[in-house]
Amino acid sequence: MGHVLGRFSRVLCALKLLMDKHTKPLPRVTPDNQPFWDACRRHELLVQHCAACDATFLPPAPLCPHCLELDPGWRVASGRGQVTTFVEIHQNWFPAFADDLPYNVAQIQLDEGPRLTANLVDVQAADIEVGMPVEVVFDDVEPDFTLPRFRPVRT
Amino acid sequence: MSAPGLDLSRRAAIAGVGVSHFGRNLPDSQLRLAAIAFKQALDDAGLSRDDVDGLAINLGWPLGVDYDRAADAFGLNVRYVNQTWTHGRFVTMCIQQAAIAVAAGLADVVACIAVASFTRERDILGGPGDFEGLREEGGTHGEYPPYGMTSPAAGAAMAYQRYMSLYDADTRGLGEVAVTMRNHARKNPNAVMQKPMTLADHQNARPIVTPLGLFDCCIVSDGAVVVLITSAERARDLRKPPVYVSGMQGIRAGRDEFIFAPPGLGINQQQPGAVAPRPSDLDAYRMAGIERRDINGLYTYDAFTPLVLFVLERFGFCAPGDAHQWVRGGRIGLGGELPVNTSGGLLSEAHVSGWNSIAEITRQLRGEAGERQIAKASHLQWGTCWGDSVVFSAH
Repeated sequence: MGHVLGRFSRVLCALKLLMDKHTKPLPRVTPDNQPFWDACRRHELLVQHCAACDATFLPPAPLCPHCLELDPGWRVASGRGQVTTFVEIHQNWFPAFADDLPYNVAQIQLDEGPRLTANLVDVQAADIEVGMPVEVVFDDVEPDFTLPRFRPVRT
Repeated sequence: MSAPGLDLSRRAAIAGVGVSHFGRNLPDSQLRLAAIAFKQALDDAGLSRDDVDGLAINLGWPLGVDYDRAADAFGLNVRYVNQTWTHGRFVTMCIQQAAIAVAAGLADVVACIAVASFTRERDILGGPGDFEGLREEGGTHGEYPPYGMTSPAAGAAMAYQRYMSLYDADTRGLGEVAVTMRNHARKNPNAVMQKPMTLADHQNARPIVTPLGLFDCCIVSDGAVVVLITSAERARDLRKPPVYVSGMQGIRAGRDEFIFAPPGLGINQQQPGAVAPRPSDLDAYRMAGIERRDINGLYTYDAFTPLVLFVLERFGFCAPGDAHQWVRGGRIGLGGELPVNTSGGLLSEAHVSGWNSIAEITRQLRGEAGERQIAKASHLQWGTCWGDSVVFSAH
């Protein structure tokens, strides 16, 4: 019961944070994605891997989109991938991000195949390119919450 | 191949349209704008309020008005309702369901009500009021607020950045779209944007979310459109010539779909590898009994300029990767090979979620478009880059 209430309060907390325009929102943690976010706190990046059909996928789901196996399981990812697209945001849509403007958001295709959306760090906007190799870094944004971001692979 | 079990081609028609004034920071409530458009639509069709027994609501509260409030306020007795998410992507769905409803006898006259007051509800678009962005595993246009990806515009920008990389494209094709929509708006007294725009204005505009600049993003405005849909038989007895719903195909969804990209572009989990349209992608033409080349004008959801390029490729007007060149040189303008959004679209007329273009389709097929009239307009297509479509025909 406490576990259920805890999860519920996390959802309420996330919604409350979104309503507070001066606080950057956190992802909504659900039963389906909780292993992903728990792993980020340990500084591990997970992808879902279906033991039944060997498919690797994201975003987290309670079943494999390829073979419909329930509870398909997880695997630790390499944390490496490449930028498939990116933007630089100049417009102040959300006050909590005003001090960051302009900032980038990218999509990263992991070496395992699935894509994630995240920010790139340690890179100038003019140097970002589609196809750029990147690796995960973990940002402990709250005492109990960690977001993965990505930086260029140093050669 | 899909073979419709029931022939719905030309079983339903638009019998009336009404359009409120459009503008920014209008003093009118959403309900008042809807009321103006509703009364005008009744007058256009020669129908009375008592004839309306169905409602199709694209945009509910808080951006627009919910079905129950509209029925109450307009004194209706309704026996059929369809209300979709408060998103522009459901224009086709509302029209389709209304056409099916009148063909099936679930309603005699369905009023499709689209009203939006974007200037009163600013936080809904990419701001702290945009709850959908917090949907688990990402918002509906690729939003991810924890990373500051909070606006639909950013989803379109992601798609165009990848398009530029794959096809060695630049932003001049986007400029052609923006300038063409502005030129169309300048022939439309009800359009919000009347100031002339040049390609240089587009290229020099301030960045919003690169690679998109100010003129790649539609205007944020207030307004209402009401479209009355009834059976073809009944429409023939009304005041204006029927605008037939001749062909339809539904919204596409799946892992190979991203709302603001054609299949194969490689956004979110889309498999990369663009494909020319397959027969199943073009059901609407087949249902209408026409070929793509019979389309006299294309109307689309141009919230952001790349969406216009993507829809041209999605329906095969040009090959994948070619649209950024294909649009140049006046091809999508009035008098061009394929006029697009002849009243100015979301980019320059108003953001009534695309319903302003449904009103324009109606005017065009009736021959009421004045200075903007497409000569001999017989078949006009509403189609979106997410793959749904309605073909409207004058006969």
